[in-house]
Amino acid sequence: MQNRLRVLRAERQWSQAELGERLDVSRQAVNAIETGKYDPSLPLAFKIARLFGMKIEEIFDDGFDGDTNG
Amino acid sequence: MVSMETQMADLPELDGEEAEGNVGRSLAWIAVAGLGTVFTAGAIVGVIAAATEDGKALSVTAMAIIAALVAIIGALIYTQWNLARRIRTGGGPMTSRERLNRNIMVGCAVLGALIGALLVAMDGVMPSGPITIFKDGPLPLAIAVLLAVFWAVIMPVIAWFWHTRAIDEQEAHAYRDGGYYAAYAYLIGAPTWWFLWRGGLLPEPDGVTIFCGFTIIWTAVWFWKKYR
Repeated sequence: MQNRLRVLRAERQWSQAELGERLDVSRQAVNAIETGKYDPSLPLAFKIARLFGMKIEEIFDDGFDGDTNG
Repeated sequence: MVSMETQMADLPELDGEEAEGNVGRSLAWIAVAGLGTVFTAGAIVGVIAAATEDGKALSVTAMAIIAALVAIIGALIYTQWNLARRIRTGGGPMTSRERLNRNIMVGCAVLGALIGALLVAMDGVMPSGPITIFKDGPLPLAIAVLLAVFWAVIMPVIAWFWHTRAIDEQEAHAYRDGGYYAAYAYLIGAPTWWFLWRGGLLPEPDGVTIFCGFTIIWTAVWFWKKYR
């Protein structure tokens, strides 16, 4: 899943360690999410969204562009 | 709204950013260098044993070989120290969870070393020969009870604390994946070995070997998933 975490972190000039501390996760977890190797759980995704004052879908993109109503 | 692709493309390259927080390669090399250290130490013991067979003194050739092997061990230890220093300083300060995680791991390593030292100290106490944790020989009752208490009482407490306080969801995910791989390797491997033993193709299945294989697979996948 693509995400803007690295962009948002860079805008605030936070290191992965600083972001990890704010989210209460490790630097490895931040790195894995940023590089798309790990998709965060819903609670962590909400935590990330709250930290940056955005909606989850403004940070994470699952690549689905279709109509969800069928 | 600007697309994510555009935003990612516009992001300036940050020095060392890709490597930050991703220390898997360094850890893998530390493990390889560690194994090399152990095998080289074993080679030194072998050379000494062969050279001093029948009470002979060490020859100049044997001493030269031993000196070369000692130099290799020195280089390997320096490599490990250097890689560990790079991990410590390269990714910025550790987060609180990482520090707790590291402290628990170091604590477990110290406990393991103490148990190992205890076993070495008890070497040769039992009539069956040297006792080591990976052999099936008898153990003195006190040592057996001590090890069983450590494994059945202390280990679960450490594991509970580690799972609830030290690791984050990404590591928990990596740990679970390791468990899946190890469980399938066990479910497939152990009966296969048992069938082939009954058919006379393999020696009798060995519990310690199976346990070690299970643990190695679990740990390898866990670290791979965590640090890749």
